[in-house]
Amino acid sequence: MASATAGLGTDTAQDLLFDRSFRTRWRLGFDKVIGWVLPLLFLVAIIPILDLVYYIASQALPTLTWTVLTSTNPYDPDALGVPILSTAAIMLFATSLAVLLGLFGGVATAEFLPERAAGWVRMTANMLVGTPSVVLGYFGYFLLVITFGWGLSFVAGSVTLAFFMTPYVFRIADLAYSSIPRPIREAAYGSGARPYQYVLRVAAPIAFPQILNGVFLALAIGVGETAPIVLTTTQSVIFPPTIYSPVTFLTGTIWENFSQPAGSPSLALAFQAALILLVVVVALNILVRVISARYQKRLEGLYQ
Amino acid sequence: MSAATTPHRHRSAGTVAGRIVPFVPALIPAALLLGIVVELLISSKLTNFGLDFWGSNWNPPDHWGIAIFVTGSLLTALPALFFAMAIGLGIAIASTTYLPGWITRFLDPFVDLLAGIPSIVYGIWGYLLVAPFFGTVINPALYNHLGFIPGFGGVAPRADGLGLPVGIFILTLMALPITTLLIRDALRSVPRDLWEAGLGLGATRWETMRHVAIPYGSRGILSAAFLGFGRAFGETVAIAMVLNVVATYPINVYGSTATMASEMFLLLDSAFGNSQYLAALSEMALVLLVISLAVNIIGRRLVARIVTYEVAGL
Amino acid sequence: MIADENGGTVVVSVQHLTVRAKQKKILDDVSLDFESSSLTAVVGPSGCGKTTFVRSLNRMVELTPGLTIDGAILYLGQNIYDPHVNPVMVRRRIGMVFQRPTVFPTSIFENAAFGLRLVGEEISVIEKNVEEALRRSGLWEEVKDDLDRPALSLSGGQQQRLCIARALVTQPRVLLMDEPTSALDPAATQRVEATMQRLKEDYVVVLVTHNVSQAARVSDRIAVLHQGHLIEVGPTAEVLERPRNPLTAEFITGRFS
Repeated sequence: MASATAGLGTDTAQDLLFDRSFRTRWRLGFDKVIGWVLPLLFLVAIIPILDLVYYIASQALPTLTWTVLTSTNPYDPDALGVPILSTAAIMLFATSLAVLLGLFGGVATAEFLPERAAGWVRMTANMLVGTPSVVLGYFGYFLLVITFGWGLSFVAGSVTLAFFMTPYVFRIADLAYSSIPRPIREAAYGSGARPYQYVLRVAAPIAFPQILNGVFLALAIGVGETAPIVLTTTQSVIFPPTIYSPVTFLTGTIWENFSQPAGSPSLALAFQAALILLVVVVALNILVRVISARYQKRLEGLYQ
Repeated sequence: MSAATTPHRHRSAGTVAGRIVPFVPALIPAALLLGIVVELLISSKLTNFGLDFWGSNWNPPDHWGIAIFVTGSLLTALPALFFAMAIGLGIAIASTTYLPGWITRFLDPFVDLLAGIPSIVYGIWGYLLVAPFFGTVINPALYNHLGFIPGFGGVAPRADGLGLPVGIFILTLMALPITTLLIRDALRSVPRDLWEAGLGLGATRWETMRHVAIPYGSRGILSAAFLGFGRAFGETVAIAMVLNVVATYPINVYGSTATMASEMFLLLDSAFGNSQYLAALSEMALVLLVISLAVNIIGRRLVARIVTYEVAGL
Repeated sequence: MIADENGGTVVVSVQHLTVRAKQKKILDDVSLDFESSSLTAVVGPSGCGKTTFVRSLNRMVELTPGLTIDGAILYLGQNIYDPHVNPVMVRRRIGMVFQRPTVFPTSIFENAAFGLRLVGEEISVIEKNVEEALRRSGLWEEVKDDLDRPALSLSGGQQQRLCIARALVTQPRVLLMDEPTSALDPAATQRVEATMQRLKEDYVVVLVTHNVSQAARVSDRIAVLHQGHLIEVGPTAEVLERPRNPLTAEFITGRFS
């Protein structure tokens, strides 16, 4: 190698700093250009969203009257009153069950399970989250609709949806409790607290915002699901449903009506249902973000 | 963090039941997963459809070959994965390197929002707006200009635009948040020291990204591929709406076909009461489940830690 | 070449360098020249700006957002902060070694060859330069039999010497070292210091260190910073035994071991 000292006499700063060789110009130029090109890729995400929201809104809003929104008249099928209320009913039931199962499960994993077993349990929770929703739908169909004999009904749909939502709540509850700072935990047990006292009195208030967040998130995901519901329920025009009766869900409404002729009120109904869903889901997502930003916790380490 | 580190004090109090009971709820996910597998096994009655099951002849009630559906799932998910990875990589690089912080903080939520949109809403938008666009603009353009490439010519694409191209497009949008998020995290995990060392040696930002950061984060990037693929592979409703699901192999790039998830979703109705039909569908469900689980496990094992965002399917 | 009164050539000339973060001055009107074949130790209490100073010399300081840089730094007479100069080019001639060994997760050879591969050198030239650089950093004998081994399989001290070699391979004139031994054990530190002694014959070395005894061992000259001001600079022995600035004396007696 020409040693550094040999260069001393010959090179000047001009040569070194203002290198005009092709390769150098190419390197610097490429870096500059790509710095403009890559950010444009954001548009691939942004344009579709804006287009989608605009489209749904523009198709839904023109015929969206207060009557359409609220009428629960069984003889007027092109109204949203029944779907909205039924969806709320299903979500209430499903979320309660999911929270019950997920919360108990997550807290138990965080508090009472040895690390190795906890690792396995967390893995299964992750696997459930990654399972296609149609498989959950099949599970609900075979187990609840057929084997338990509940038929295509409110309860079958709600429970299936609850099963779908449980792993999400589970993970967040687990994380919330596992990330309670050690000193607090040790202080509580050190003062003689029994497990249920620690869980309820000490940890719960701390974990609460995160868990609430998790519930909102599970809600956002659950309300938009189609397969688990469509496969386990059949549409109804009345509200309220009974346990074993048919029931309507917003996504089901879209599914039933999306191939209706253009301009028909039924198709408009599908768009309106879609709009409601979008509003709810976006609102929940924003809420979740805001709460997250304030409490700055993420699933980490445990959920590998 | 869990019992291994908890003081043992609470264990001495209570009966055997008192010690077992707290563990039980933790088994819920395992029970659920096990339940799913068992239930599907039962309803499939472990029917041995023989090699025919893996063949291409799907002709109920005689033949139950699911090869078409497996191929269909791959034909839609793999291209979507490719696009989602390419775009996600570009966005992640732009986010971490080329754009100032305040812009990224503003733009990132848009990508995350893509994940929050229910798949049926993608479906209705896809079916009524995007597919016609593909049908009238994009597919004919490809057909006319690239028709010489095998697969891009032949039978003219449908006017309503339903088929593989729009299906792949929609799946790309659905996988994009996952790939972008995970690749971004992989790139962010590069230690600042290492990054500066690259720059300090006279590399441009792009070169440092390419030769230092991306290799360092390659496991995370691979994990993004697996999990993004899993998302696309298991997608059900949106694909059912835009793909024009028919149980045949697609004749060309614009063709119609079926995926496992969409076929399962659409046929359960017609299989009602027919136990052989139900058995075949259940077995297909098991295949779908196994593939999804495998992809999920591998994808997660690749990184020491995944910062998991609460995104549907992640 | 600019020759100063003593006949040595000034390679880098820092002229009235002021670095500000918002309104607060991290470096205040620092001027200092660096001659060829020298090793200048930059010392001072924590927060005195020595890291910022050395990172200004190869424009790495620009990576920290929100800083304003005033003044000029001349490399062989050319201001490296001239708007027409791209920082990428500066860093070929002014190399840097960091506090912790920052080897890339590739082979030893690929680590060392990194800088030359970027500029598209032929493989034969690269191999020669890699060997030379590894010799200069004192690592050649230990790795010559297997350059394709992963760089991460080396010990901490060896990795740091690899980082030095890596910085040398692009034939810089100046080598900046930001506390390069602070993460190493005493034996490794000794090897690196021996390398520094050899390097100062051929390069301009600027060494930031919090260890005054290290400065005493390896440097020709010590520059003392205090709260962003250059309070003293001179030959090592003089600064340590007969410091002119009382603050220097305080600092040294507090740290000298």
